[in-house]
Amino acid sequence: MRLSVLILTSLMAMHGSAQSQFDLLLKNGHVIDPANQIDGVLDVAIAGGKIARVAAGIPAAEARKVIDVKGLYVTPGLIDLHAHVYGYSGSIFPDDSALLAGTTTVVDAGGAGWRSFDEMLRRVIKPSRTRVLVFLNIVGHGMIGTKYEDDVADMDPEKTAAKIREHRDHIVGIKLAHFGGEGWVAVDRAIAAGKLSDTPVMIDDKIFTNSGRTSREKLLDKMRPGDLHTHMYNDRQLEVIDRFNGKLQPYMLEARRRGVLFDLGHGGGSFLWPVANKAMAQGFAPDTISTDLHSSSIMIPESDMPNCMSKLMNLGMTLQDAVLRSTANPAKAIRRLPELGTLGEGREADVAVFRLRDGVFAFKDAWRKKLLGTKKLECVLTIRAGRVVYDQEGRGFPEWTKAGEYEVIR
Amino acid sequence: MRARLALIALFTCAANAQQIYDLVLKGGHVIDPKNKRNGRLDIAISGNKVAKISPRIPAAQARQLVDVGDYYVSPGLIDIHTHFDAQGAPLNLNPDHNALRNGVTTAVDAGSSGHKNFEEFKRQVIDRSATRILAFLNIVGAGMYGGKVEDDPGEMDAEAAARTVRKYPRIIVGIKTAHFQPPTWDAVDRAVKAAELSKTVVMVDFHPKPGRGYRELVLEHMRPGDIHTHFYGRLTPQLDDQKKVQAYMWEARRRGVLFDVGHGSGSLWFRIAVPAIQQGFVPDTLSTDIHKDSIMLPGATMTNVMSKFLAMGLTLDQVIERSTVNPAKAIRRPDLGSIEEGGVADLAVLELRKGQFAFLDSGHGKLTTDKALRCVLTVRDGEVVWDTEGLSLGDWKEAGPYSNFK
Repeated sequence: MRLSVLILTSLMAMHGSAQSQFDLLLKNGHVIDPANQIDGVLDVAIAGGKIARVAAGIPAAEARKVIDVKGLYVTPGLIDLHAHVYGYSGSIFPDDSALLAGTTTVVDAGGAGWRSFDEMLRRVIKPSRTRVLVFLNIVGHGMIGTKYEDDVADMDPEKTAAKIREHRDHIVGIKLAHFGGEGWVAVDRAIAAGKLSDTPVMIDDKIFTNSGRTSREKLLDKMRPGDLHTHMYNDRQLEVIDRFNGKLQPYMLEARRRGVLFDLGHGGGSFLWPVANKAMAQGFAPDTISTDLHSSSIMIPESDMPNCMSKLMNLGMTLQDAVLRSTANPAKAIRRLPELGTLGEGREADVAVFRLRDGVFAFKDAWRKKLLGTKKLECVLTIRAGRVVYDQEGRGFPEWTKAGEYEVIR
Repeated sequence: MRARLALIALFTCAANAQQIYDLVLKGGHVIDPKNKRNGRLDIAISGNKVAKISPRIPAAQARQLVDVGDYYVSPGLIDIHTHFDAQGAPLNLNPDHNALRNGVTTAVDAGSSGHKNFEEFKRQVIDRSATRILAFLNIVGAGMYGGKVEDDPGEMDAEAAARTVRKYPRIIVGIKTAHFQPPTWDAVDRAVKAAELSKTVVMVDFHPKPGRGYRELVLEHMRPGDIHTHFYGRLTPQLDDQKKVQAYMWEARRRGVLFDVGHGSGSLWFRIAVPAIQQGFVPDTLSTDIHKDSIMLPGATMTNVMSKFLAMGLTLDQVIERSTVNPAKAIRRPDLGSIEEGGVADLAVLELRKGQFAFLDSGHGKLTTDKALRCVLTVRDGEVVWDTEGLSLGDWKEAGPYSNFK
């Protein structure tokens, strides 16, 4: 009797799909989940599209599918707070630019305004496998060119806030970008919309001669705690470093103490080695790492998330810190922590697996100048809502010789 | 008179000696199958043209010198099965980052648009892309924009398709038929008719039905020079029950029918391709059928497709031949797919990585191998558009002080 029970049990464990409690088990990876203070070799079990368990030594027999990720890092799926997947002329589709890089959530930074959001929902948000969230442009027409983006009459806080209230599940805040006019009216309207909808504002705003605006006033008087300034390592938006003495501007620290957030927003013009190097050396790292990925920044600057993280790591940031600023921090900034950005049990299973390569690598800034670095993060596997969507080396799949017979479609 | 000739000769000589090139790729192993080049050569570029190919071009003659001594240099790759009409079918992709980052400088869109919407595709995508985008025009007037219409012979107007082809002879290289389900020959025959009228070729994606067999397709309906894509997939009976390549495959090849990979989500199975290649039935052209699905798990990018065929036993020279000169010939564009002095400067710099790699196929089977191709630098129309190792870029510390001027 006992023997037969034992045999039965072991048979079930071997074949035991019916009894398996997990759909997928990532085994032996180094898990970094900053929101839960996890940093060590652990297994991650997934069931029903959700994180089921993160623990050491979860038996392989308890999962229908086991993927060995020994020697690799396992993190929450990355959150890119500054993406362009709609509206903007350089926008690109999210799936082939995000999921292949371990980014499972992108926040489109102002492609749509209240007039065009519904179309974006239909054409991009719903059909994409990537989770697409939105900073809604304060401009009703969205990011479709200077003529529209400079039109103050199309910046309507009431209508913008109403659209946000209608789509809280997709819209996380307001974006102000590219305003070329004078004075504070655009900033004020974006912040008014943020107040009406109780959401944060992401600001991309050039300071230029005769603009009637200063960075100091913007950061210390206009922006609220929780609002974000993107493009922080650009030199035309904030000038975080005093160009004459190379020192961090003191009011940057004051703004940070007030709770203003600084976002990377690499893009085609906003990550410059001289600025980033000096800022990092003086301890002024981005609160959130983001790409501003579009048809041109994805080429020579290669501003995808793992590359942005690698660039900062080669300027001294630790991997753990880079993961924090690409997962829990952005989730918190858009008020989605702990639903997003963690591997907490019960959360949607968005997971990224990385290799940290050693060698000599070139990293290019927005000016197409290179820095030779020695570490590079490379995404090898991405899981979105519990499904393996990208698997560079086929770790989750059998050799073709053992994949069974195939059926000819007739 | 003689003195004048001598003077001219002297001048020409001096001009040659002082020739300055915009860009010189130095020391790379050039593989240019059309011209039977396979060895170390320098390549000089002036403007958007290749100016000189020579074993040694002095560094002093280069405005910009790029050392590619660790790499292979091939003609810009040609992918004849892509889906880059980004405004069209939901699975289509944006061209530039998917093509140029993988060394593809010429991408042929395989029937995303038909005569009704080609011009919109041209305006929205082709004219705005850095990649050279050519097209097979779908025999269906609305292309792949919307489902059911692809099964409707009433939508397949050979005359109208041929008119559009003739209007854009530098862009449209042929006709595509795809996805057709009814058990009739309408789609194939009308596509062939449109190709006859426009003097181009047909690319066929074929779903056999009772009474509409694959054998008849490749032996009777397709013409020499027409292309069957997806031929390592499960749709068409290319192998018999003993995994032997069917006699009609060889016969079709003798007739001049071309066989294109068209990897995609469903059309490259190692379980089919490996036995076929072992018997010598290799593809005429490698191509990706790149779209939102195929790019994910099967990783159907051009360099990945090439790596998979290296892993299945083709030589590097063979995979480059099938990704450059062969597709150029298939679409009848002899100006593309090779490196010529005076020709347009489209080049791919490829790294042959050694180590342990694995690639998935459309059936989610994995092939483990010891080498992989990666594109490190792409020149399109004379310009470096992709440079992942920063070979052509300066170090930031030598860039001088930053300012708010670009």
